[in-house]
Amino acid sequence: MLQHFDPNKDYGTPASLSENLITLEIDGVSVTVPEGTSVLRAAAEADINIPKLCASDNLEAFGSCRICAVEIEGRRGTPASCTTPVEAGMKVTTQNDKLGRLRRNIMELYISDHPLDCLTCPSNGDCELQDMAGAVGLREVRYGFDGNNHLSAEKDTSNPYFTFDPSKCIVCSRCVRACEEVQGTFALTIDGRGFESKVSPGQNEDFLDSECVSCGACVQACPTATLMENSVIEQGQPEHSVVTTCAYCGVGCSFKADMKGNEVIRMVPYKDGQANHGHSCVKGRFAFGYATHQDRVTKPMIRDSIDQPWQQVSWDEALTFAADKLKGIQEKYGRESVGGITSSRCTNEETYLVQKLIRAGFGNNNTDTCARVCHSPTGYGLKTTLGESAGTQTFDSIMQADAVMVIGANPTDAHPVFGSLMKKRLRQGAQLIVADPREIDLVKKSPHVQTQHHLQLRPGSNVAFINAMAHVVITEGLEDKDFIANRCDDGAYQAWRSFISEERHAPENTAEITGIPADELRSAARIYAKANNAAIYYGLGVTEHSQGSSMVMGIANLALATGNIGREGVGVNPLRGQNNVQGSCDMGSFPHELPGYQHVADDEVRAKFEAVWGVKLDNEPGLRIPNMFDAALDGTYKGMYCQGEDIAQSDPNTNHVEAALRNLECLVVQDIFLNETAKFAHVFLPGASFLEKNGTFTNAERRINRVRKVMPPLSGLEDWEVTVALSNKLGYEMNYSHPSEIMDEIAQLTPTFTGVSYDRLEELGSIQWPCNAEAPQGTPTMHLESFPIGKGHFAITEYVATEERSTRKFPLLLTTGRILSQYNVGAQTRRTDNQAWHDEDILELHPVDAEDRGINDGDWVGITSRAGETVMRAKVAERMQPGVVYTTFHHPASGANVVTTDNSDWATNCPEYKVTAVQVVKVTEPSQWQQRYEEFNSQQQSFLKEGRKQKTQA
Amino acid sequence: MGNHQLNSLIKMVNQIAANNTHIGDEAEAAQMVASHLGKFWARSMKQQIIEYRENDGSELLPVANQAIQLMAG
Repeated sequence: MLQHFDPNKDYGTPASLSENLITLEIDGVSVTVPEGTSVLRAAAEADINIPKLCASDNLEAFGSCRICAVEIEGRRGTPASCTTPVEAGMKVTTQNDKLGRLRRNIMELYISDHPLDCLTCPSNGDCELQDMAGAVGLREVRYGFDGNNHLSAEKDTSNPYFTFDPSKCIVCSRCVRACEEVQGTFALTIDGRGFESKVSPGQNEDFLDSECVSCGACVQACPTATLMENSVIEQGQPEHSVVTTCAYCGVGCSFKADMKGNEVIRMVPYKDGQANHGHSCVKGRFAFGYATHQDRVTKPMIRDSIDQPWQQVSWDEALTFAADKLKGIQEKYGRESVGGITSSRCTNEETYLVQKLIRAGFGNNNTDTCARVCHSPTGYGLKTTLGESAGTQTFDSIMQADAVMVIGANPTDAHPVFGSLMKKRLRQGAQLIVADPREIDLVKKSPHVQTQHHLQLRPGSNVAFINAMAHVVITEGLEDKDFIANRCDDGAYQAWRSFISEERHAPENTAEITGIPADELRSAARIYAKANNAAIYYGLGVTEHSQGSSMVMGIANLALATGNIGREGVGVNPLRGQNNVQGSCDMGSFPHELPGYQHVADDEVRAKFEAVWGVKLDNEPGLRIPNMFDAALDGTYKGMYCQGEDIAQSDPNTNHVEAALRNLECLVVQDIFLNETAKFAHVFLPGASFLEKNGTFTNAERRINRVRKVMPPLSGLEDWEVTVALSNKLGYEMNYSHPSEIMDEIAQLTPTFTGVSYDRLEELGSIQWPCNAEAPQGTPTMHLESFPIGKGHFAITEYVATEERSTRKFPLLLTTGRILSQYNVGAQTRRTDNQAWHDEDILELHPVDAEDRGINDGDWVGITSRAGETVMRAKVAERMQPGVVYTTFHHPASGANVVTTDNSDWATNCPEYKVTAVQVVKVTEPSQWQQRYEEFNSQQQSFLKEGRKQKTQA
Repeated sequence: MGNHQLNSLIKMVNQIAANNTHIGDEAEAAQMVASHLGKFWARSMKQQIIEYRENDGSELLPVANQAIQLMAG
């Protein structure tokens, strides 16, 4: 990899971005660094390593430990090199007798109150305190160890992932500063003064009960064993590392998997990770235990009917069984009677192969992906307006934003590492507008972040809201006339301008629909339009509506109208839910598009693919996921290959989905667990976790990152190998020996990927597509000079109210979302200690609605919609507005999607998860669906157990 | 032709029409809807909705009806 700095070295203080260079002399060596660099860092860059303890290059200089003291010619005393910026001509001495004595004296004081248990200490071999004691040549502690000390301070073991042992603390404040500067949570403080000073979570709470979000930044920052991963305490120091990419959210953090043989000891966010810069969240850093959980199914299994126990069989038997079944279905019911679903949790290469198998092996375009139920409107909306189905910026771009508008997203929970970066910029003074029915943590729970406006709109009124924002911009003359004239299609603009100027879009007239006071909306629109750089970040609160696509286009309209496209600090930024949503869409998972968003009806495009794939391709789009379910219920869709996706839990209207799955004659599920969908399957192909395979993920900023195998696949095969073997059994030959060869084929066929290869990824670290002859290094910021469609296109976005409205029977609106500690359907995080934070889905409702119904905190409540009924525990919370209730969908037994309906986005069929009319009442027992679920689940678990037992006996 | 699919298709095409009726006159809107169906709907879905319009069509919004007619050629 191309490195300017060694990512495994700590340079002491952050790099300066100044373009002015300063030359100084350190220990007689001439060193040139950017202005603003500390002496400590300047020395480190010249490989002159000044001892340090409280300094770390991801934290601002603090100057507390004084170990890094130096002498500077012409200056008095011994200044701390971490807090001393370089100056031209400065002459620095880092080592002499005086400095040596000074450092030894300081170290002696530290060690006089530190346990001398180095040989049995968990950080033995990875302890900065020990290293520095060695570096300064400490040989004695003249004070003895009998004085006042902290050696008997009690450990805090409340957090499931790390232990706080204050007896080893040197009060360097690195943990406190990491919590503030890197994570932005401010959960830690130094309590007391002088000798009484101690690190304290919150108001002397334990870690688990405090505001700590368990991101682990404090653990990583600690130079001793005070804050230490339990896995290291239990298993010892790792012996080698592999850099790979997290398989949780769309931020796509890079990690060093610290290994002992084939066992992961810990995940450490990689400092050179271009999406996360060495930070992580509780999921990525700690919640990897699912990969080796006892629930992993590692042997292929088959059965003729879902009412039968599973039979464990060989790979060959399972693949032959699946291929024969699927071929038989096609012979009986026709070519279009089968299809498949790719997953945003799988790699680009795996996704590419599944859609290829469907298009070339099955001979139809019945391929879809879970992005159908999250960001398909982003694909439609951004392609229509900006010409490319992707966000426009890098994550780092937010550091140039002056105004940030967050719409229908909850970055601190769902995209935590980016959420931390966003908070950092907001603490620096960028203005914040939040448009969300719910009071997300950014609004009031983020220290030193001031929300200028929380526009608490009603669910389902997004388009009315965004139209009103644009109306203010246009009617108050706040548009960027030059940008519009130079970069946008004039005809479309004039039509849109005339539409949006209509008085009915004025905030005073939309207030009744949105619930947003007109003056507040006007003020927010002015902030967005007048900022030098204004950026929009949005999530599923935008897309998962009956007008999801219209809302995405409305957002793009607003950005175009104000010229907030095509440079750093601005843009339209969809925050993707799962790790490879962007990639799975890029790879041709949608039924109407081949890889690179190339339409199947385009003869030239098809000819290109046909030449490489060696088969004739269908020129008509295939079925989308909801269409597949409908066709299954009607008996025309009979077989499906589902890789890494859990449609039975994640898709709306569970009763409808389950009925469709029961109607299939052959469902092939490839997954690491017997997930909810697999309980309806006839063939189970064991999958590989992200730790067990090679490939790439593409994050929300179009960044392609390498996924590297750190342990052998538990089932013996990586997922791409399974798809290859299935395809070969089906009679469509695939032949790859490594995922890099799959990427080479992708690059050959996808214009935006022609410059991408594994070699190039090794060289650059990661690549943001488009990467081709025009952009050989990739494209951090899109649409700099033009759009892929030439000019930006303003789309007319009429507000059309959803059919899902509150009524006398269903007077409340349910909206669903996620929580920090759990991930999507929870298949991974539910099998980790993250359960400590969220072991059940809970219904949040406003005190007014609770009081009307006699509901108290913790009561069991039935939630009924026109689709179904489920039961959860209630939490009374003022985060909700009256009339709106909220829950998460991480636990299958809670049945959140039993209640959601099959209403969907008009353009893409993305389900309207965010608006379901419901009634909530106190109940005393689980719903009928839950009772059926318990019965079905226990039957399926026993079928699994039986299959495993039979094999053992055999 | 099953009811599940047909009911969904009628709902979908009407929803597409409702979201595009404001684009110019009815003919322009129908053209837009027809183009959308052509680009995104599967062959079997197109066939089913065309058959429905020919045999009944009573639940279709006018723009949706026109669009399907355009698509059927």
